[in-house]
Amino acid sequence: MSDFLSYFNTNWSAMTVSDWVGTILTVIIFLLMFGMYFWVLRPKNKEKLESHRDLPLRDDDINSEKNDG
Amino acid sequence: MQAKQQYNFEVVKWFAYMAVVYLVAGTGMGVFIASQLAWPDLNFDNPYISFGRLRPLHTNTVIFAFGGSTLMATAFYVVQRTSGVRLWSDKLAWFTFWGWNLIILGAIITLPLGLTQSKEYAELEWPLDILIAVVWISYMFNFIMTLSIRKVSHIYVANWFFLAMMIMITYLHVVNSLSIPVSMWKSYSIFSGVQDAMIQWWWGHNAVGFFLTAGFLGIMYYFVPKQANRPVYSYRLSVIHFWALVFGYVWLGAHHLQYTALPDWTGSLGAAISLAMIIPSWGGALNGMFTLSGAWDKLRTDYILRFLIVSLAFYAMSTFEGPVMASKTVNALSHYTDWTIGHVHSGALGWVAMVSVGALYHMVERMWGTTMYSVKLVNLHFWMATIGTAIYITAMWVSGIMQGLMWRAYDEYGNLAYTFVESVAQMHPYYAMRAIGGLIFFLGAVVMLFNVTVTIRRAIAKPSAEMATAANI
Repeated sequence: MSDFLSYFNTNWSAMTVSDWVGTILTVIIFLLMFGMYFWVLRPKNKEKLESHRDLPLRDDDINSEKNDG
Repeated sequence: MQAKQQYNFEVVKWFAYMAVVYLVAGTGMGVFIASQLAWPDLNFDNPYISFGRLRPLHTNTVIFAFGGSTLMATAFYVVQRTSGVRLWSDKLAWFTFWGWNLIILGAIITLPLGLTQSKEYAELEWPLDILIAVVWISYMFNFIMTLSIRKVSHIYVANWFFLAMMIMITYLHVVNSLSIPVSMWKSYSIFSGVQDAMIQWWWGHNAVGFFLTAGFLGIMYYFVPKQANRPVYSYRLSVIHFWALVFGYVWLGAHHLQYTALPDWTGSLGAAISLAMIIPSWGGALNGMFTLSGAWDKLRTDYILRFLIVSLAFYAMSTFEGPVMASKTVNALSHYTDWTIGHVHSGALGWVAMVSVGALYHMVERMWGTTMYSVKLVNLHFWMATIGTAIYITAMWVSGIMQGLMWRAYDEYGNLAYTFVESVAQMHPYYAMRAIGGLIFFLGAVVMLFNVTVTIRRAIAKPSAEMATAANI
């Protein structure tokens, strides 16, 4: 086996339950992240997401703090 | 009977003011310990003020006292403003304020006494660790409950960053601080050997990633649009920035342990993900900067906005430098040298402190219903902070690279070309230069404290006509 391939060699029989749980969860989260990228960048969702851009500017009149304390 | 006010800004005001006080205290201590490195006589043979004891006090003061107070002020401010509701519990907010300051007092007493767990950025002993967990959870719980009663259907992205920080810091702090107490002020970590190192740097880098990055990105996503009075450039980019950052950061810790007993692949993985993290980090920085598209002229006159935008330039720079330093080739040169100190301070002074200062000036003007006492002093502060940071990091780059090259230089017989002491002697001019850069930054913080204090005193003593009208309603 080349040095390069040996770098990726795994002793599967040595994997513990927590190794498997961690590996599977990581792969699932990774796939979910890519799914999220797909969803966010889908042109259909652009308007919906970008409608939140100005939320901080909408909060209320700029002097609202003066009434609070 | 007066109706209950819409928002609770009283606790935010206190957190904001204490943040400025702690900025002065923390950077002042930094200047002193930097001077100790340049001129060791300043240790005065006194263990209580020796570098080894004051250095963790400096890091705790700037990160947790200044940074923590800023995060608590801004998170409580932003969640109320973007949710359209008052904090869920005023009492719990005050508990968070007093509890956090009690922890800081505990650090000021115990660290100079040499009471420490010896874990970087997690030095405090077990009773204070428990108090941190309780106070932090009170902060998070109040934040979550405020979100749960919001009047706005969407949770603005700044709140996502704050919440991610709160959840992850709880998890990281509790796991990394697990220890067996052997007395009131002494405990030993439940981890040992390489596991202890891995857990420590899993915490250490995520303290950077979540406490000093995610939380301050929450600040950026609210205060840059607010100060510029323009919507954020791309909301979709902010969503991608958030999820990529949250997914990626937790993998990076091992890059602090290249060429150690840690399995080689973990360091490689840490370095690979570090390099990948340039993409979301730069995406976020550009998202903040492009928010000014079409309104760049505001930077000529709005000094508060300058702090916020320059902080993003430093954020972009340090999130490029970090991954480069994580790669094994560069790490072989940079690790254990002052280059790391320079990198940390380009993030801490240039990014964290500058974005905080911009947000704090913004909130002071809004919460006290006034304008800054002196815009010229804000401008002076901006230049002192920028020049001080530039001098500091330049000194450390030169010093660090020189250190690395001297340590690994060898002659034709394979002997080391320089002794360690020779490398220390060569550092002196750069250590002096670093102390000067830090001093300039510290004096800028003093200017800010003066300006903020006078602004608040004048606002309280002479309420504006608008405030008087509001008070009579």
